Amino acid sequence: MKPKIAFFDFASCEGCQLAILNCEDILLDILNLVELVEFREALSETAPRYDVAFIEGSIHRDEDIERLRNIRARATYLVALGACACNGNVQARSNFVAPAVNYGEVYGDEARNRVQVDPDHWGLWSHTRVRPLDAVVKVDAYLRGCPVVPQEFLHLVKSLLQGTQPFFPPNAVCVDCKMNENECVLERGLTCMGPVTWGGCNSICVNKGYVCDGCRGTLPHANVEAHIELMREHKIDDRDIRSRYRLFMGAEPIGRGV
Amino acid sequence: MSYYLATQKEIVDWIRRLAAENRLYFPEKHGAASYRFTRVGPGSDIQFDHYTPTVVPPVKLLVPAREELLHFRTDADGKTEVQPSLDTSFRIIAGVRSCDLKGIFLMDLFFREGVPDAYYLARRENTAIIGYACNTPCDERAFCAAVDSLDHTEGADVYITPVKGGDLLVEVKTKLGEKLTDGVDWKPCEDGAARRIGAVTARPEPFGRTFPAALPEISKIVEKNYESPVWDKHVKRCFSCGTCNLVCPTCYCFDVADDLHLDVASGNRTRSWDGCMLPHFAEVGGGHNFRPEPAARQRHRVNRKFTYLPEKFEHGAACVGCGRCGRQCTSHIDIFDIVTDLIQEGAR
Amino acid sequence: MKTGTEYYHQLARDTFMPQPGRIVEIADMTAKDRYFRVELEKPLGHHPGQFVMVSVMGVGEAPISISNGPGKDNTLEMVIRRIGRLTQVLHDLKVGDTLGIRGPYGSGFDPANFYGRDVLFVAGGLGLVPLRSLITPVVAEANRFGKITLISGCRNPSEELYRDQLDEWTDAGIEVIRLVDGTENMPWKFGVGLVTEPIPKLKLDPEKTVAALCGPPVMYKFVITALGARGVSYDQIYVDLERRMKCGVGKCGHCQINKIYCCQDGPVFRFSDLALLPEALL
Repeated sequence: MKPKIAFFDFASCEGCQLAILNCEDILLDILNLVELVEFREALSETAPRYDVAFIEGSIHRDEDIERLRNIRARATYLVALGACACNGNVQARSNFVAPAVNYGEVYGDEARNRVQVDPDHWGLWSHTRVRPLDAVVKVDAYLRGCPVVPQEFLHLVKSLLQGTQPFFPPNAVCVDCKMNENECVLERGLTCMGPVTWGGCNSICVNKGYVCDGCRGTLPHANVEAHIELMREHKIDDRDIRSRYRLFMGAEPIGRGV
Repeated sequence: MSYYLATQKEIVDWIRRLAAENRLYFPEKHGAASYRFTRVGPGSDIQFDHYTPTVVPPVKLLVPAREELLHFRTDADGKTEVQPSLDTSFRIIAGVRSCDLKGIFLMDLFFREGVPDAYYLARRENTAIIGYACNTPCDERAFCAAVDSLDHTEGADVYITPVKGGDLLVEVKTKLGEKLTDGVDWKPCEDGAARRIGAVTARPEPFGRTFPAALPEISKIVEKNYESPVWDKHVKRCFSCGTCNLVCPTCYCFDVADDLHLDVASGNRTRSWDGCMLPHFAEVGGGHNFRPEPAARQRHRVNRKFTYLPEKFEHGAACVGCGRCGRQCTSHIDIFDIVTDLIQEGAR
Repeated sequence: MKTGTEYYHQLARDTFMPQPGRIVEIADMTAKDRYFRVELEKPLGHHPGQFVMVSVMGVGEAPISISNGPGKDNTLEMVIRRIGRLTQVLHDLKVGDTLGIRGPYGSGFDPANFYGRDVLFVAGGLGLVPLRSLITPVVAEANRFGKITLISGCRNPSEELYRDQLDEWTDAGIEVIRLVDGTENMPWKFGVGLVTEPIPKLKLDPEKTVAALCGPPVMYKFVITALGARGVSYDQIYVDLERRMKCGVGKCGHCQINKIYCCQDGPVFRFSDLALLPEALL
């Protein structure tokens, strides 16, 4: 029997689901192997049970938590799909801004004042605590990146079909860069999150002439102290260093600690 | 063995002729200050000028970052047929500096020893190498002279040395070299050996960085300093990113992984570059890691270059002094500095 | 030196291509350890203590200890713990399925080195699996050896391997000391304690004793210390080590222990030969 897979999204741009839909050349082959029961970007159904639930997006509100727990209860295997689900992504930067300031920035002072005095709207303040999935439920596998890497998605699907776990080596982006013979961005006088960031992305940003912004989250063995020192040597001030860490890693302990 | 004298232009034209008929690789500028061994096409820029060692050494053409070892297909009856995937195509690598020639020479030793490696040796046998001498150090990180690779020419089929007057001295070293230079109209050079010595003696002295100890001593010092604060000192800034391994001309450790195609019936087994500085290199299935600390991994790497492999292969050092590891390390942790520290530590 | 395309093709096949092995028996030993008996196309021709590379094409390959004693038939016995990507898939295989086998690899024990001596085996957890390849031929020729003793320890009663085999060896007159770290409220009629604990009280003549050890990395130092305290000479202690391996032929580098390669120079070592290899034991 084909495994039933489902896609769900929380606070996200749905770009990861799009990244998967974009694998047009192999999408039909994948659909031969699995039964897609929920996919907001593609169709709309509900099922009582999922073999694999792919979840995109970060968790903000109380109702998100409830919905996520509900999916977890129905899913045998739960995959965090993309940077929002794995490490909070850019929206977690709002964790460092006072809720009222944030609200005022987005909706203006008048709206903010109204919301502050109206108890019916107080639930909105929970928006301001952005969490990755694993802050709420057990996550079985992480597909990192903003967006996810199709090859990693494929590896995960194939592994599960074979009855085993996917394996993503905890190596820095530097490994991908060397495999691609990239000139180190430091040679261009720039700085990079690559040495502390989970690789496996095929160093796509550096290949294209940009630097690594760390969208795949910090490695478990990341030498953050040395990395900060390195940034300082390149005349990056501490405020900017903090900002670089919080760009994608704001909901991670490291991003909070810098 | 025969010698010719040729002009820069004659050599470049010759390279272009070879490239028109063969898969030929040459160091080409890439990025702000780097070079890559790149397949030469009609529009390629070929310059024998000064360059710093390429990001990745030319041995990548003999040990690619990823290579297929086996491919398989399972038929409807469940019978699986497995076949090796061997690359026996011919290629020419030109502009290979002595440090990288030495790297390939050492790789030849490593892959021939014990159970010979079919994949490496099949490529190697079908590879022609055109070497190029350095008359000045490429940059301040080189220490090729200190590890006896500055004058390494073995393994090259043709070896080119710039000589006084701006001409290039071409040394044809093998039968394959003769084939590559068949029909050239360069001026034969009777006193080639003497001219080569002339170029060598005109080099700056010392050439690049030198160790405060001789090579045989260094092996003993590194071995003796198995327990040393030096190992901890340098890894403070280490990211365990494996760059030093991946850019090393004599690192050949590999990982093996399978891939199943989406037909769920065929697939392949590939090997890819791995490195002993990567955190999980020595971790077994049960989760035990035999080198969990970066310092232990660093010590292993340095020992491989200066004691383990030299002892096994009875060769001075398995480090060719190209300087890539220190140059490309984001924290500029330099194996030269580590070894120098160990020597000074030993002298204390 | 041989060269040529045909030679390299043959070399690649000989080195990396697995031979098919058909699973003829599977038995659960514990909740996570499963016994496999595999029928090969030709005899394995192995020494005790050697290993094979087991693979499922499309999933991967891993080193697995050979558990049966040397023999002329085509049998390979293994006990595989469900621990990683490959072993998960191996656990899903059924009798009649095929897996890939390369090897045997590594050095092994030579039982002839033990003739006339008292033999002590110390096994911790999965260590009993490779040791069985040596215990079997020793027990089969018990009259050529002195006293034969096996200390076998595991975490708790549910994790004991080869229970029937341990009974058989006991019946054959071998002193088998069966231990668990703790009973964890499970029925258990044997001893409780670490494998080191019986060593001081063992009836053994240190001059005549040869010991073979296999177990988790933390075990060796303690057992060797206990044996040393009894006066057993270090060149009479053999250890069977575990390392990560990707090739089995001394190239991939993962199994390196200082200057030696576990896959070629080991996995069985005389302890006195490890004196200059600080990475060998914890």
